[in-house]
Amino acid sequence: MLIKKLAIGFIAVITMAVVAACSDAANDGSSDNQQGRGEVTIELFNIKVETANQLHSLIEEYESENEHVKINVTTVGGGQDASSALQAKFSSRDEPAIFLLGGLSDVEKYSKYLLDVSDMASAKAAIDGTLQGATLAGTPYGIPLNIEGFGWMMNKDIFERAGVDPDSIDSYDTFVEAVETIDSQKEQLGIDAVFAFSAMEDWVVSQFSNHFTAPEFDNDVNVAYEAAELTFEYGDRMKAYTDLMNQYNYQPILSLDYSTSVEELFANDRAAMIHQGNWIVPSLNSIDETFTQEKLGILPLFTDSDDEGYISAGPSWFWGINKEKDDEVVEESKKFIDWMYTSEKGKERIVTDFQYVPAHEGYDADAITDPVSKEVYEMLLDGKGRIWAHNQYPDGFFSTALFPEFQKYLGERITWEEFEEAASEKFKEMR
Amino acid sequence: MNFTKRTYWLFLLPALLALLLVLIIPFVQGIYFSFTQYDGFHVNEFVGLDNYKRLFTDDQFVYSLWFTAGFSIASVIGINVIGLSLALLVTQKLGKISTVFRTVYFMPNLIGGIILGFIWQFIFLKAFTGIADWTGLEIFRGWLSNTETGFWGLVILFVWQMSGYIMVIYISFLNNVPQELMEAATIDGANSWQSFWKVKFPLIAPAFTVSLFLTLSNAFKVYDQNMALTAGGPFGSTEMVTMNIYNTAFKVQEMGYAQAKAIIFLIIITFISVIQLYFTRRRETEL
Repeated sequence: MLIKKLAIGFIAVITMAVVAACSDAANDGSSDNQQGRGEVTIELFNIKVETANQLHSLIEEYESENEHVKINVTTVGGGQDASSALQAKFSSRDEPAIFLLGGLSDVEKYSKYLLDVSDMASAKAAIDGTLQGATLAGTPYGIPLNIEGFGWMMNKDIFERAGVDPDSIDSYDTFVEAVETIDSQKEQLGIDAVFAFSAMEDWVVSQFSNHFTAPEFDNDVNVAYEAAELTFEYGDRMKAYTDLMNQYNYQPILSLDYSTSVEELFANDRAAMIHQGNWIVPSLNSIDETFTQEKLGILPLFTDSDDEGYISAGPSWFWGINKEKDDEVVEESKKFIDWMYTSEKGKERIVTDFQYVPAHEGYDADAITDPVSKEVYEMLLDGKGRIWAHNQYPDGFFSTALFPEFQKYLGERITWEEFEEAASEKFKEMR
Repeated sequence: MNFTKRTYWLFLLPALLALLLVLIIPFVQGIYFSFTQYDGFHVNEFVGLDNYKRLFTDDQFVYSLWFTAGFSIASVIGINVIGLSLALLVTQKLGKISTVFRTVYFMPNLIGGIILGFIWQFIFLKAFTGIADWTGLEIFRGWLSNTETGFWGLVILFVWQMSGYIMVIYISFLNNVPQELMEAATIDGANSWQSFWKVKFPLIAPAFTVSLFLTLSNAFKVYDQNMALTAGGPFGSTEMVTMNIYNTAFKVQEMGYAQAKAIIFLIIITFISVIQLYFTRRRETEL
């Protein structure tokens, strides 16, 4: 009898534990409105690992000003994997209130949840055209996070020591000359190689391809998004750049990862150029403050025209707000985003703390502390920036098609024609 | 007796409930999704066997299967040979020091796969390059930048991680070998080589069942080590099946198709495991 009682007791405890655990999970989603009156908890899903700390301190300041608001941040890093994590959150019904959207395909995917942001102050303040990347059928669904520009990031110091004036590079041919000049003095300059292109990272390859696909898509986000095929109209120039870079790159190029490329080779004056954007500024600063101030510069690429160089610049990510949440959560989310981009405190932090290139008007351009970000900002305003077309590639295209095929070409497994063919075919298939 | 039967089911209930919730229901759901076009949010349409038909023409998936099979064979052999050797080493009468060695060999198993992957990535990329610069041995250069080194890199990592664990299993079986048998062998004039192969080896046969089963199914299911070490690169040539399935589901966003891949993968694993269990069991009973 005793055993029986024990057994039943034991089972009862376990069953209750299971039931309690399950019902706990079920309650989680709706607990927002149960926590005392007026108190609002906002779940924020962040993808920008580089500025996670800055975001945390920004939120701390906001919370101290608005004591009834609590913002929980989940940061998951690095582009595509983060999108998977976000999708997993949505699939498990644990949707965040504020999250980052990478491109129009994200907007379309989450369109059921996304709030029309057109009446928000931060949307009205956005620089003309920057909302385009999150606009479907005329309705904007996201607030641009910042402007990011990429191209060849160069170490001006190495260029100068090699006797190359970066300003004199005004065509593809002079670029090749500059590369060869630097290469011929590798020993004296103390560099390992001219380039440190990290071909181990799929996103670096994807961004590199952007310079050549953006003009094919008429430099228009919506054209890129709706494009049924990718024909590599500027494939010849892409091949030329790829071959040049592969020839003068740190080898083995295929296992060169981001941190070796940026933090080890480039930051320590061991490579003259890498293909990156202004987002590397904070991590370079953490290694050597003077580097970004004195040595860092950005070089454009010459793709469709021989003497007109462009970098790629535009908003890369957009804040989306989940309208399916409780009204007060939505309200507070809007307030927070508006505060971040339009209040004086927020603005100051965006420029000095986050070191972002702002995507909104009403910022003092001179307040941008590092020269490269300023350069990116100015080039964008001068019309020397290409859109982020690669954000509009079909889902998974760059990581499962473009990137492996490109690596095969670098590893001399296939010819350029085969690369173009395979990538175009996959593009059509995945669209 | 009524009492036993009821208690039996009562005791089973919590476990059954948990299994039902986290295993059986999702499994059935998964089978259903594999017949549909599903993007993670909505089931777009029911496509019948189309997903399965597509599998056979998916070069990358077929390649991943073969790659995983190769990896599993290499690592199962590696792990068991090294695990058994280590077990023999630490069961020698060395006093306290053998406990230290046991702990040291087991240690890699306590580190998570992701971290191990990054540790070994550092070793292959940085330390190996350092060795190459220092000694001029070209074999240490360019690891993980081609398929062969990527493959062996993964095998080395996995063998390093699992050997210690398998060693523990072998140790327990080796300790159970009756002392009198060993004594008898010695009296009969067997040298240590003979007494190992003729006496010890057959007696620890059950350990092979356990170890082979564990290592084989683990090797097939490797994901995190693969992701952290090579991420499938270069050009997807070290992409294992699990990673291929994950990429299809979360990068290309074809959940239904990925689910079909997962079902096929499950069938393959079950098949291999059953065959292997059958053979190793039969060996045991023969002895």
